[in-house]
Formats: sequence, C-alpha cells, structure tokens
Amino acid sequence: MQAYIIRRVAGALFVIFLVGTFIFFMMRVLPGDPASAALGLDAGSASAESIEARKAELGLDKPVIEQYGDWLWAIVQLDLGQSFAIRANSVWYEIGRSLPYSIELGILIIIFGFSIAIPVGLIAAIWQDKWPDYVFRTLAILALAAPVFWTAAIMTLGVLEWDLFTIEVIQQPHFWEDPGAAMTWYLIPMIAGGFAGTAATMRLLRSQMLEVLRQDYVRTARAKGLREGIVIVRHALRNALLPVLTVMGVTVATIIGSQVVLENMFNIPGIGNKVLSSFFNRDYPVIQGVVVLISVFVVFTNLFVDILYGFIDPRVRLA
Amino acid sequence: MSERNYWQRMRRQRLSRRALLGASARAGVGAAGLALVGCGSGDDDQQQAAPAPATSAAPQQQQQQDQPAAAQQVQQQQQQEQAAAQQAQQQEQQEAAAQQEEQASAVGEAEEPAAIMGKYGGSIIEQSANVYETSDSQRTVASPVLQVLGRVQSKLVRFTNPNTGTITGDLAESWETPDGATVVLNIRPGVNWHNAGPGAAHPSAAAGRPFTEGDVHWNISRQKDKLLADGTESGDFGRSSYWGAVTTMDLSDGSIRLNLANPDATFVGGLANEFNLFNQPELTSATESTATEISPDKVIGTGPFILTRWDPGEGISAVKNPDFYGLPDAPFLDSYVWVQTFQDPNAYRIAFEQKQVDSMTDPDPSTILAIHDSLQDETYLTYQGVANTVAIFTPSNKEPWNDLRLTRAIDLATDRRQLIQQLHNGLGKVSGPVSWMQEAWAIPQEEIGDIGGYRTDKEADITEARQLWDAAGGSELGQIDWVTSELWASRAAWSATPGIIATMFNEAFGTDQFNGITKPYLEIIPSWIAKDFDPFFSWIPNIEIPDARAEMIGAFGTGGGSNYWEISDDFIDTTLASALEDLDYDSAYAKLRSVQDYVMERGQFGRSICYNYIFPAIRYNYNHPVLSSPTEGWNFLANSVQAFGQWIDPDDPSIEGRNPPPPVPL
Repeated sequence: MQAYIIRRVAGALFVIFLVGTFIFFMMRVLPGDPASAALGLDAGSASAESIEARKAELGLDKPVIEQYGDWLWAIVQLDLGQSFAIRANSVWYEIGRSLPYSIELGILIIIFGFSIAIPVGLIAAIWQDKWPDYVFRTLAILALAAPVFWTAAIMTLGVLEWDLFTIEVIQQPHFWEDPGAAMTWYLIPMIAGGFAGTAATMRLLRSQMLEVLRQDYVRTARAKGLREGIVIVRHALRNALLPVLTVMGVTVATIIGSQVVLENMFNIPGIGNKVLSSFFNRDYPVIQGVVVLISVFVVFTNLFVDILYGFIDPRVRLA
Repeated sequence: MSERNYWQRMRRQRLSRRALLGASARAGVGAAGLALVGCGSGDDDQQQAAPAPATSAAPQQQQQQDQPAAAQQVQQQQQQEQAAAQQAQQQEQQEAAAQQEEQASAVGEAEEPAAIMGKYGGSIIEQSANVYETSDSQRTVASPVLQVLGRVQSKLVRFTNPNTGTITGDLAESWETPDGATVVLNIRPGVNWHNAGPGAAHPSAAAGRPFTEGDVHWNISRQKDKLLADGTESGDFGRSSYWGAVTTMDLSDGSIRLNLANPDATFVGGLANEFNLFNQPELTSATESTATEISPDKVIGTGPFILTRWDPGEGISAVKNPDFYGLPDAPFLDSYVWVQTFQDPNAYRIAFEQKQVDSMTDPDPSTILAIHDSLQDETYLTYQGVANTVAIFTPSNKEPWNDLRLTRAIDLATDRRQLIQQLHNGLGKVSGPVSWMQEAWAIPQEEIGDIGGYRTDKEADITEARQLWDAAGGSELGQIDWVTSELWASRAAWSATPGIIATMFNEAFGTDQFNGITKPYLEIIPSWIAKDFDPFFSWIPNIEIPDARAEMIGAFGTGGGSNYWEISDDFIDTTLASALEDLDYDSAYAKLRSVQDYVMERGQFGRSICYNYIFPAIRYNYNHPVLSSPTEGWNFLANSVQAFGQWIDPDDPSIEGRNPPPPVPL
C-alpha cells in the first residue's frame, strides 16, 4: 500500500508540474505583455526606455527559461510571487482576498440549486405525466436552454426596472459580516447559478425515481401497507439519489465555471473575477498561482479518492 | 454629417428597457421551446419571430409615430448645438489669442477662474482603473494615475479651458516673460504641503511645510536630469524633454527665473500639462524606489484634496484639504471616491442605475443611450474626445516608402470616416496633422473635408491614390504586412481591425497585397525610436498640450524627438521655428497652418493622422462637472478643472435614493 501511495503522489506531483509548465509558457505565447497592459490606452505614449524599465522590474527581461526556473524554484518554496498588476500585493494575498467571495457564492449556488432540484425532481416523478410534471419539465428545459448570463441579465433588468432592491456592486460585505446585506447582492447570482445547475439534477432524479418506483422492493413496500411518504422517502428516494450524488460532482464543476461569469457580471471580487482581470492585465504570477492552486486541489482530491478506493478494493492498488 | 446620421439611426433602433425585457423573455421562451421540440418547422419559426403581443404593441406603435418628430427635434437641436459650438470655438480662439497677447505683453497675471455657481459638500463616486503603474506622477504615462493625483497635487499653472489652452495661476500666482526665452514664476504665498492623511503621516514627509521656490527647482531638476535620489538615471521621466528646455534656474525669495535654451512661446502653456504635477522632495526621495507598490502614504501634495486611500482593485478616496489655499471658494466637493473598474458593463450599469456611481461611460454608445432613454428625467448626456490620437504610420524613411508617391497614395487611400463608422459607431472626427481636439490650432472641420486624404468625396481621393500607386509601381511591391497594435486588436470590438485596414487598402488599390498583422507596443515603440518600423495603424502618443506647435516640431522638425521618418525640410524647419517664437496667435496660427497644408500635400510624410474618437458619458442631474458646453466634456485631461469646479446639487430631485460608498476619512 505504501508503494502504491508513493506512486500515486509522484504521479500527482508530475501532473501539477505539467499544468504549471503549460500555463507558464501559454501566458508568454499569448499576445500582449504586462508592461504595456498596465498602461492601457496610454501604452502608445510610453517611451521604449520606460517599458524596458518596467520589463526589467518584473523580471521579464531575462530569458524565458531563466524566468521559468526562478518561478519553479519559488513554487517549491510555496512562494507564488508578487502580482504584476498590483505590485504591493503578493499572489497569496490576492488569492486570500478573492477566495472567500467565491466560496460563499459557490456554497449559496449549490444549496439553492439542490434545494430546488431534489423536491422538484421528486414531485415530477410522483406526478408523472400530470400537470406538475409538465410544468417542472418545461422549467427544467428552460433552465438548460438559458445561459446563466442571460438569466442573470433578465433578472437584473427586472430588478432595475421595478426598483425591487439594491444590487450592491461596490460595497459588498461578506456573508459573515452582514448576512442580510450580503444576501441582497448575492441573490441574483445565486438564483441564476443555481437555476442553471438545477435542471440536469432534477431531470436525472426524476428518471431515477421513475425507475426505482417500478422496482419490486417498492411494490413490496407498498404491499406491506407502508405509508406512501415512507415508501417514497425511505425506499425510493434513497436509492434514486445515489447516481444523482455522482453527477453532483460534475454539476459543481459547472457551477465553478458559471461563477466566473457571475462574478464579473455583478462585480463580485472572487477568484473568477480575479482570473479574468489578471488575464486582461497579463498578470502572469496571479494566473499561474491560481491555476497551480486549482490543479493542486483537483489532483489531490482525486488522489485522495483513489487512495480510498485502494483501501476499499485491493484490486485497484494491485492493478 | 455622419455623426448626426448615426445618432438619428441609433434613436430609431434602440429599444426601451421594457421592450428589451419583453424581447428577451420571448427569446428565452423561444430558446426553451426549440430545445423542447427539437428542430422546429417553418411555422414554428414564424411563431417565434412573431411580433410582440397586443399588450405591448400599442406603446411600440406610439414610439414609432413619435420617431420622425423626435428625429427632427434632434436634428434641429444638433444644428443649434453645432452653431453654438462654432460660436464657442470662435470665442475660445479669441480667448486663446487674448491669452497669447497677454503673454506678449511680457507680464502675465493669473487669470481668475470663471465664476461657478456651485454648492458645497458631497462626494463624487467615479470609476477608475484597477492597475496603477506608479504613485510617482512624474514617472507615469498612465492617465488613471493622473485622475487620482490630479486632485491631490498641483501644477505651477492650470488650464481653465483645456481645449484652447487658456490658463490661470496655481502654485505660481503669476508669471512674467521678459523675453521669449525667460520665464519668471512668482510662487503663490500661503501654499503648504498637506498636513493630514497617510502621506503626511509618513516619517519622511515634511507635512505642513510651506511650498517654496526650492521645491520648484528640485522638481524641475529631477525631471530634466532624469535622476533618482540615489543618483541612478531613470528612463521613465516622461516630461524630461520638456524640462530639458530649461538651461538654468535662478532662485530668489518667492520667485524662480527659468532660462530657456531658445525662445518658446509654448513653454508657459506647457506648465499646465497634466503630467507636470509637483511632488514633495522629502517624501518622493524616500519612497521612489518602491513607487510601483501603490499606497496612499507615498503621496503628498498641495492640491485641494488629500489622498486617504489608494488600494488598487479595491478602492481609492481623497478628502478635501482643510488647509487648501483656495478655500473657501474651492473646492466645492468634500471628497472623491473611485471604485474599481467594472469589467462587465452589466455591473457598471447596475452601479449607475442604482446610484452607486454618479456617472458612466461605455465603449458601446447604445448602452449609454438606452440608459438615458429609461432615465431621461434624471440624467443627461455629454460627449468628449479621446486624446489617444489614431494614426497610420508609413515608413517613408526607407525603401520602398521613400517614394513619396506611395506614401501620399496611402494617405489618400486611408478612409478615415469609414474607419470611424466601422470601429467607433460613427463617433469621432477626422484629425489633420494637428488633432481637432487642439481646437485653437487645428484645421477646422468644415475646411478639412476639401483636402486630399480627408475629402468627403472619397472617390476623388481613391482615384488619385490609385494613380499614384500605379505610377510608383505599388503593385510590384509584393505582400505588405500592416501592423495593428496587439493592445488595440485585443479589444473585442476592434479585433477585426487588422483585416479592416488590409481590406481598405486592397480595395482602394484593386489588389490583394495588403495583409493585417499585430505586434505589441513593446516591439512597436523601440522600432519607432530606431526609425526602422513597419507600416502601422493604432494609437500614437497622446496629445500633451492644447498648443500644437512643439508637437509639430517634434514630429516634422529636423531631428525632432518623434520625427521617426527623418524628415528634414527647410520650409518646415524655418516656419515652425518662427511659429514657436511667435507670441501673436494669428500669426503663429497662419504659420502652423501653412506647415499643415504643406505636409498634407506630401502624404504627411508617412505620419498620417487619422482621427480622434468620441465617447458619450451619462450623469445624474445632481452631478455638475465643469463642462465645455452643456453637451460636451473636455477633450483633454481636465482633472484640475474638475478638482476646482465640480459640485453636487443636494436639492436636485435626482439625488433621491443615492447610495454612495463613503470615503476613508482624514
């Protein structure tokens, strides 16, 4: 087992190394440069000397291989470097500032999405081919067809038109600082993001429930005279939820993707917003740092699961 | 006029928000329906494309009936505005002339700012940048830095009309020009460096110290010599060539005499350049090695506001200086708050419509117009030019472009008005060798339309261009790569520009030789300096001051700092040198105009200025910036103008429901 773990950890580190290397060189291949990007429209006014000075300050005057070596060595020491765009801030600081907003929004979207998907999927299955089923299936199709930015934009226009409440895009307290205020400006992104993630889960749960409800053990449970609620919740739903839980992992990945859009639409200073602004500013260290951290998270989560499989099923580690 | 047509069209096309909501909802339902039923039949498609339900049809019809009258009103209004603008321009030119005459009289008195009927108090909330290259105003070329520091630091003189170059005293209470090569600046008494805020709290700052002629000497020497406190030379002093004209300085109690290498009638006006802000020697010397790490404690000034927060990407604020020399008259505002850039127009729109910011601009004018449409009673629109001039550079100093027939052909074939339409939704004006934004020196728009390369009858230009191209053997040159800057092409709306430029020339010359490519400024600018550059289209260095004479010498004079074409022409040199010394506006203008005509007849020697574009801004009625006319903002950076004159009307009904973020207090 020890050899298996060592082998898997080495593999994981190699994957992270590849991801880091890819993003490092990818950023340098892309058009644009941090020295000019920092000047925006005024780049045309900068002297060659000042752009070169800026380049030197950022270490971009060194050969790319040397930059790469420096960066790798720093990463090994857990130093992600300083932001190119905001020189006073380290990449760790930038990530630390952004991450809580993304986590908050992500959790809200997941809670909202699944708290809608599960009861709706259940109701649609129970009343198959009745009006609640048609209504919820239509809504699910709408959620699948409507891009998250469209849903968010329409909701925003509605709120602005009828002046329903303030969508704060500047003074944005954390949820733990002021839950009431935070809820008003998280509301639309939460609903739009959750709505988008709901449809697939709801449809899957419905089809699973329909399948399970036709199983012999459900029929047996009903024949025993159990109440319908107990049959549905205890016998059918628990079994139908298993594949749904498997799909939830994929849904979470989709939610993270939609967060980039939502954070920008509502000026939420999360990781998605940070990555996009860093991309426009060609802030190499921030992009590299965020991508490496995400790869560490994903790779080690998978590694953990794989090792867990190894413990549960010896055939896995032997293979 | 293309602009008028554009706006009329825009008014006809734009949707009200309710219509947009309705259309979006229908589109969404349609999309869902499509997904539900798979590929629909033709009938289904027709149903989806059906007009709005009867409930919303009536208002739409009403709107359509109103269109012609509205369009007429707009047209009449625009004509009136144009006439007013022309009158204003003439008046401003007269003012500029008067200013020049004032200089000619050898004794300059500080002109009093125009009386503004403002109200005191309040805070303005604006969007600024997320990235600031440095906290040192003398080592930046970035306008966002000046947006902040222009409120905090002062210049020797400042513009009261940035478009024409009318100036008034600031740190210099008055000035004298005994001859064209000497300027005596009388330092305003009672001006002190800030005595509060993070900058004043820095251990190296000399908080509250009086501003002296010694400070002027230090600031000029620093930029002229391009030296940092540790003795190292720095290449990023953007105004070093301007201050390089000062050969010696003589200090006396309360004044400083600047001796120039040559007579220069533009020098005093140049003092008001936005980049000529004054740093405190003590604090700047102590912090200049870390100036790219932005923080408010590295800045101290003498201006009307004190910087209390400068966290790029988070927030910035500046609060009224309680010891400002201009009190109690100026400033009107208690504070400025700048919020981070909204990367998505949706967020900016929310912020504006819910009064979290007081003004809004957007590269897409239709967004601004749509908002104005829905908030007509509460908001107003203004338009202003962008100082980033757009130009085509042809390397006429090297083969094959040193055949001026080719260079002239390119200049003639450049369809400036078409580019404005394609890239800027028709919002822009063509610029001659002197940009239209330098109002007092530019060729008037009504005249430039008859000049080759700028003709409103573009066919005549194209015919002449093709004749020159063929005569010079242009078709035998093979593939010609035309460079657009990557920064320009990286903007979604302009990403097709390399292809547009190539197509423009290919169609004009009936060829397929032209090919659009992109390069970063990191490569482009050094190639200009080395005078070995490829044909180019994009922004060129900003217009620095309203007086175009020094800029023209730099571009066309023998050995000029931005003469990348190695132009050397006796007529140009002697005429521009004479214009530079000329203290009479009319005479100087005539000389500059003769040079403009001369270079335009020669394809601008490859420096083909194209245009300066315009963008709209929307503001709430309670927000009163200083404007050049009721519908026009300032074309040039006018930070000091706003710092002194902008105000908020707390009694205006539009202020209800305002939700501004508070500034960090002193």
